[in-house]
Amino acid sequence: MVALARKTLVYEWRRFLPAILAVCFAGLLQLLQAALVLGIFGSASVYITGSSADLWAGYPGTQSVNLGRSIDTDVEMRLLMDPAVSRVEPFHWVDADWRGPSDNGGVSVFVSGIDPRPDGLMFSQALSPELRQRLNEPNAVVVDRADLSSLGVNVGDSAIINGRRVQVVGVGSGLRALGGVNVVASLATARDLDTDSGNVGRMTYFVAKLRNPADAHLVAKRLRGATSFGPYEVWTAKNFARRSKMYWMLDTGAGAAVLFLAGIVFLVGAVITSQTLVAAVVGSVREYATLNALGVGVGELRKVVLEQAFWVGALGLLGSLALGGLLFLLARSYSVPVAFSFVAIIACVVLILGLAIVSGLAAMRSLRRADPATLLR
Amino acid sequence: MSSLPSIPSTSLQARSVSKAFTTGKLRSAVLQDLSLDVGAGELTLISGPSGCGKSTLLSILSGLQRPDQGDVSALGQDLGILNTRELERFRLHHTGFVFQGFNLFPALNALEQVALPLSYLGLSDAEARRRAASSLEEVGLGPRMELRPSELSGGEKQRVAIARALAKEPELLFADEPTSALDAANGQIVIDILHRIARTHGTTVLCVTHDPRLVGHADRVLTMEDGRILSDHRPAIATGAAGDDIEEPST
Repeated sequence: MVALARKTLVYEWRRFLPAILAVCFAGLLQLLQAALVLGIFGSASVYITGSSADLWAGYPGTQSVNLGRSIDTDVEMRLLMDPAVSRVEPFHWVDADWRGPSDNGGVSVFVSGIDPRPDGLMFSQALSPELRQRLNEPNAVVVDRADLSSLGVNVGDSAIINGRRVQVVGVGSGLRALGGVNVVASLATARDLDTDSGNVGRMTYFVAKLRNPADAHLVAKRLRGATSFGPYEVWTAKNFARRSKMYWMLDTGAGAAVLFLAGIVFLVGAVITSQTLVAAVVGSVREYATLNALGVGVGELRKVVLEQAFWVGALGLLGSLALGGLLFLLARSYSVPVAFSFVAIIACVVLILGLAIVSGLAAMRSLRRADPATLLR
Repeated sequence: MSSLPSIPSTSLQARSVSKAFTTGKLRSAVLQDLSLDVGAGELTLISGPSGCGKSTLLSILSGLQRPDQGDVSALGQDLGILNTRELERFRLHHTGFVFQGFNLFPALNALEQVALPLSYLGLSDAEARRRAASSLEEVGLGPRMELRPSELSGGEKQRVAIARALAKEPELLFADEPTSALDAANGQIVIDILHRIARTHGTTVLCVTHDPRLVGHADRVLTMEDGRILSDHRPAIATGAAGDDIEEPST
């Protein structure tokens, strides 16, 4: 079989270049949008994904990790009673107001009170044991390096949280959260900073490590629903992280914006691509008509156009994956919150190939002009 | 369609064929109640002034267009009862075309141009290439089969187009002004090839032209005007076949 579609694509690459570039940039936009959305909203769950706990216990119905309300400290005992649980750690969340040394005005911060022991579960991936050790000093806090400027401090500076003096003893990375600046402190410091008298003797979350993390779903189900320790609910870490992300996506309207933008990008890309393919078909319409005169069916000619559309899509996609990968690394190196998931990439690939195929289907219609009778003039 | 009756001595037949085109409110008759038999294995020319309907007649006889009225049969097959897809299949298996423009794909070399339609016939790649190559040899392009259209002269391009039509080994070959875009020498080469095809392959060649050089090579010359056949005559041809000059009114 003579590879008409491919040979034409290679020989007349200038003709197809606009379509390939359109697909490439449409793909790049989709990929970067997905990366940013996943990155930004992924940081909504940084408390969960940056920690190594398997289960989270918190107030029933909590939609996002930053909306936690306090639960009875006895829940810790309930969790420990389960034979599958190997360790439980409290996590004290404080909604607070920050005033730095430079006159930045107030900054809304979330204080994360954690167990600073070297093998602690909370922020085990973001904080080194040495940094955790420093949190043991009274009123010591750690912030993300990228948050220093918005907080108006440097390492070693003092600041005021909820009217109490704290000292920035170090910076970590991978601590940036959504909705407010994440400030990490020890449990004791966090307790001092919590001005809500209703929280005395209570804890926002208990996180648990399981002997076998694969059992998380089963154990979470088992621990849920007991009421003798006051109201609480248990989620697997994965579930709670997704819950938090979805809350931000839907609550901020970002989900709708993403879909809307994806639709626009798809439309613009498809218009440019289909127009280019139409021009390519029209440019060869006499040759197609000759093939039809020789008995090559219209269906076969359509296949040629569709194959061209597929190759345009594949080449454009390759370009957008390469460029997207480069920009992704660049963004990472500048601490821009970007992230990727396998599902997101597959969705982008499907969307882009879909764009190319839709354009090919649109371009097929111009094969109607390939009427061999018009060659006899 | 696959079980065609044994090829009759008449390979193309038109009976009371009419065709009109409508442009805007104006309806102009192109063919008027025309009947015609074309003998098998003959090189038949249709000539006449432009607008006389000769190209329309060719497209109707070859199954590219349907007549408004009348019947057309090719190789004993009534073309009127075939749907579009069946017509395509009929053309694929039985007819070749050579157009005034060469209509070659810029991206393909001569061998690929010729092999392309063959692959749709269900031939293997190797067989398609073999047939394409021998077809190109026949039109004298053996040494140039790796070249693309941009590297070929006009005459060579037309020979590639002829080879493309020929490689399918059709019983019917339709040519529309095949020499009008060519200089004298190349025109002569193309004429010789068409002549040889009719002689050696027994192919029915129906050729629309107003090139007087072709007349000497034809078995039969039809002259058309205003949608009718004015004259039908058989010139004495160089190969010595008896040319019995007959004039018969066609309508």
